Amino acid sequence: MATCNNCNIPEDLYYWVEKHTWCRREPDGTLVVGVTDVAQHLAKSIISATPKEAGKTVKKGKSAGTVESGKWVGPVTAPVNGTITEVNATLKTQPSLLNSDPYGEGWFIKLKPDNWEADSADLVTGEAGIAAYQKFLDEQGIDCSK
Amino acid sequence: MTAPIRILDLGLVSPLRSQAIYHGVAYAQKPETPDTIILVGPTDPYVCIGYHQELEREVDVDYCREHGLPIFRREVGGGAVYLDRGQVFTQWIFHRPNLPASLEERFALYIKPLVDTYQTLGIPANYRPINDIHVQGKKIGGTGAAQMGEAEVVVGSLMFDFNFDLMARVLKVSSEKMRDKIHQSLNEYMTTMTRQLGRTPDYETVKREYVRQVVDALGRPAEYSDPTPEELAVTEELEKRFASDEWLYQKGGLRQTGAVKIHADVYLAEAAYKAPGGLIRATARLREGRIDDLTLSGDFTMLPSVAVGALEQSLRGAALDAAAVRAKVAEFYRNLPVQSPGVGVEDWVSAVMAIKGQSPLQ
Repeated sequence: MATCNNCNIPEDLYYWVEKHTWCRREPDGTLVVGVTDVAQHLAKSIISATPKEAGKTVKKGKSAGTVESGKWVGPVTAPVNGTITEVNATLKTQPSLLNSDPYGEGWFIKLKPDNWEADSADLVTGEAGIAAYQKFLDEQGIDCSK
Repeated sequence: MTAPIRILDLGLVSPLRSQAIYHGVAYAQKPETPDTIILVGPTDPYVCIGYHQELEREVDVDYCREHGLPIFRREVGGGAVYLDRGQVFTQWIFHRPNLPASLEERFALYIKPLVDTYQTLGIPANYRPINDIHVQGKKIGGTGAAQMGEAEVVVGSLMFDFNFDLMARVLKVSSEKMRDKIHQSLNEYMTTMTRQLGRTPDYETVKREYVRQVVDALGRPAEYSDPTPEELAVTEELEKRFASDEWLYQKGGLRQTGAVKIHADVYLAEAAYKAPGGLIRATARLREGRIDDLTLSGDFTMLPSVAVGALEQSLRGAALDAAAVRAKVAEFYRNLPVQSPGVGVEDWVSAVMAIKGQSPLQ
């Protein structure tokens, strides 16, 4: 796993950097979507997660639900157009998973994309993804150890 | 990352502060001020009138005085309303580029999180254009918009409860029979969370849900914070003005009833006309068949706030004739970036020409 300014940024995920959203494509084409280590760091201790319901459609760039800490409420931005197939029910009782394991147990929703090929064109991944995130963190002065 | 919206959850404040605060935050807005949403309620009841209204025409001032109900004029259009702890006001103070330019679209955006919050509670609310929220044909609160300094302001409320009796009581009405009818209509055509649910939901839970819905609707994070010392200082300055009679009684210059002859060629006349966007009251001094002076008031919304005065001015000297009035009003709308949802050129023409029916000059 790559590290940018002490934030974990795995190479194998797709990112929408400015929105702090990640997604991973499963073999069946389903997308697992979550918030990045950067987002959980900025939010601090997350006390509530409210994904939209399974079956709802979401639009790329629009909110697929919210996460909250004591003084902060943030949207989880849908990376592509699609339909929510599953929400992480564990987050209801253990929202802190978003802090402790944002890329694993703290996943947010699963999506069936309408058109992955077209909608994913501006998401970044691999080395290019790491570089893009590093640039953004430097510009914003964000460091996950602070 | 999109800049967070600042949430000022102020709890309960004095009646005056509950109105002055969003004006203060708006007038103190600087380029670096975050877009802000204030959640606030009054410690005690009061009456609030719309920016374009005439106080004594709309409110039973004597009753309010006798019962210790303060009255404040806001810088936002709309009608007179009785307010108390049953409402949490949701006051948006945004930078102009961050809201839709069209007032209709702005109201739709503002209302969405209110509607979504009600729906989450199980109340089947929906947006009723231009700026209302309805539950099965009943209104659950209205909204208003204004420009203050560089800021764009949109206000409304989370309607936990509402005192229908006092709302009907504080309004100025022509007869007690009319008051009964108003009371009956409020009961039939307005609703609240308490009425819909059979209980009053927890304020903190609903406010939290509202902020969540705002974040969802706008796709922007929200951060709870406090007003700055400068915002509070501007608010305190405005409170002095809001408490003054001069501010409260403005718009009353030409107040008269019916048509009154001043001398052979000069009459005062007034009329009211209901446009889709609100009631327009027109009061004119007519001199030899021309509009010598004119006051337009009512519960409509018109932006920018100086536009009503400019429209009154532009009609001075015009013949009291539909074509002449129409030409002036159309010219006014062509030349100025005015927005008055639900009130168009023909509504102003109808309101002004209704005076003719009242005038001995006809």
